[in-house]
Amino acid sequence: MPELILGIDGETHRIPFEPGPSVRDILDATDFRVRSGCRGIGACGLCRVRVMEGEAGEPTQNERLHLTLAQLSQGVRLACQVIPRHDMKIEILNPAPPSNWKSSQDAALLHILHEPAVEGRWLPPEINHPCGVAVDLGTTHMCLSLFDLAKGRWLADRWGRNPQQNFGADVITRLAAAAESPGAAREIGRLAVAAIGEALLDIATRDGFDLRRIVNVTVVGNTAMLALLSSRNFELLLQPDYWTRPVVCTPLETSGWVAEWGINPAAEVDVVAPLAGFVGSDLLAGLVSTRFTEGAAPALFIDFGTNSEIALWSGEALWVTASAGGPAFESSGISCGAPAEAGAVFRVRLDEAGCVACQIIGDDRAKGVCGSGLVDLVAYLLDSGRLTSAGKFAGGETNYTFSAGGTELTLTKADVDLLQRAKAAIGVGIRALCGQAGVGMKDLQRVYVGGAFGRYLDVGSAQAIGLLPLVPPETVELAGNTALAGCCDIMLSSLAAERLNQLRSRARLVNLAHYPDFEQVFFENLYLQPLREA
Amino acid sequence: MINPEMNKLVEVLLAGDHAAALAEARRLRAAGMASERIVTEGLEAAMQRLDDKCTVESFNLLEIMLAGRAVSAVVNELYPEGVPPEQGRDTFVIATLEGDVHDLGKNIAKMVLIGKGYRVVDLGKDCPVETLVNAAEREHAHAVLVSGLITPVIPQVRKVRPALDKRGLGGIRVVAGGAALKQSSAEALNVDYVAETAFDGARYLDSVARGALS
Repeated sequence: MPELILGIDGETHRIPFEPGPSVRDILDATDFRVRSGCRGIGACGLCRVRVMEGEAGEPTQNERLHLTLAQLSQGVRLACQVIPRHDMKIEILNPAPPSNWKSSQDAALLHILHEPAVEGRWLPPEINHPCGVAVDLGTTHMCLSLFDLAKGRWLADRWGRNPQQNFGADVITRLAAAAESPGAAREIGRLAVAAIGEALLDIATRDGFDLRRIVNVTVVGNTAMLALLSSRNFELLLQPDYWTRPVVCTPLETSGWVAEWGINPAAEVDVVAPLAGFVGSDLLAGLVSTRFTEGAAPALFIDFGTNSEIALWSGEALWVTASAGGPAFESSGISCGAPAEAGAVFRVRLDEAGCVACQIIGDDRAKGVCGSGLVDLVAYLLDSGRLTSAGKFAGGETNYTFSAGGTELTLTKADVDLLQRAKAAIGVGIRALCGQAGVGMKDLQRVYVGGAFGRYLDVGSAQAIGLLPLVPPETVELAGNTALAGCCDIMLSSLAAERLNQLRSRARLVNLAHYPDFEQVFFENLYLQPLREA
Repeated sequence: MINPEMNKLVEVLLAGDHAAALAEARRLRAAGMASERIVTEGLEAAMQRLDDKCTVESFNLLEIMLAGRAVSAVVNELYPEGVPPEQGRDTFVIATLEGDVHDLGKNIAKMVLIGKGYRVVDLGKDCPVETLVNAAEREHAHAVLVSGLITPVIPQVRKVRPALDKRGLGGIRVVAGGAALKQSSAEALNVDYVAETAFDGARYLDSVARGALS
């Protein structure tokens, strides 16, 4: 793969890329963004870089307009106009101010729109080119997609960290903080609203977008995130009774949000209702976007997270559960862990010499290992006999040290234990749903994996440690951010909204707390080995 | 110091080898060793080693569960009718309180205490405070242990002490443990002790108990 080579603060960073996107698009997915004021169409002239080595092609008309002959002769170019095919060395002349928000260059991270056009959504006639924003409000990350509603055309994406993490990395801690103090509850809600505003501002300033065109904001998320956003009923979620009951999360008042975001004053905000305390509208949206309940073939859907949501379609009935296995899939709590952002090892392979070879997101330096990299690493250690299926290192070692892009990383036995617990929780969920629905794992004809973790997951590694059923690998679809994709569908299409309502009335909840074999099945699934039928 | 006759039993218990542990316990008994000695000198030694291993070598959850199953199998083999209450050892009542259905932590604590030769009455998960108090009275418990993974269970924990006092059971110690509870103080939870781990809780109970098998 060709590489974009950057000198930043005296250090060289190498960013591998698939030829196709512009230099700006490649940089947008990294921590090294270039300043910009338009949607990358050569209109603003701000994204100046110097091409030091490599073939950049003839300057475009827009570049001749914005850059002097002297600049062009020194190799100065606009990052959005240069499409590299081979290795290229550049210097960023006009870096973007630091931002918590990133746009995604990985085309696969962008959802595939299943709905061809808008039907049924009322559009205010006085607004030129009305737009809508779909928001997936996750516990760890937030993602947004901006669409032209009339044309159904995608305009921009942003994702960033959920700033509520100061109140706890996991849902329960955050809920408890909110339940303890009304001040904290207000602040937790305010942080989410402010973060959506920040992301919109990033789109407005970077892509030269007029926020007053936004007439709709549609939000999906897990029930806790939605309750905290709306400051409603979050205290109920601390009571297990409500995990299988509906919890109202519709905000009472959104005009303050609309004003804070600076979008059209007539804009509507739709917080898509969750199904129950432990099944959020993020899962429902994922089922909408994957058309999960269409056809008679049995299907499994897993949205991996701290609280993983799992759905099973028997061909006739829809079963849903949630399984809290801890944050290992997000690589949180893992000593060598890093979120699935630039600098994270997302894939681990063996090179010809039998050494560990790491692939790193958006950089050649590793900060740590993200969830999919962790699964690969553990599968490789298992396969090479360095780790037993019980999660013990061979020879009584307590850790394994390896080099990733010049950084020494150490995987400890406690890290492996966290992954074992997380995957055991998934195994219990799958077994419980298959049991309820009377579907064998071998009968599954479609397996969807959602979430950022699923995006980079190696199916073979996941099957080897028992994270996914042993179905033919082509049966498994790594569906990316299905929650955001479904949220876009629901925002854009009344047909999708109708499918959402059907799913709501159809879903049957399975509470794992009442699953009689929980402890035995959890125990069996702590082993790092392929999933077994009951 | 481990009794050399117990080396094999301790080793297979720690390895979590349930079948080998059962076979070894049977062999020791057939050789004339009293059940009580197998518990105090074998199981208890294994628990002590497990405590060290959890700290030093970070035994994982699976290893702890495997050892726990092996210990339970041996106890069931030695006392198929249940551990008799009249052998001078302390009795503890243990439960995960109403509102919480996660009881892995409770099961580990139970295993450690059984391994140390105590008599443990397990009330399971989602247990009302009243059931706990009734059992403590009926079983002549010396302590009650409550475990909680999730914070909403805290109000239930706070009710245990006054509920015991109301029945005239003020002498019964209350010990709390589990992810949600160990972040609170004993004072805040209205209990006698908050255990950091199952082993920490067992050490506290050792220090206040009349003694396990003597």
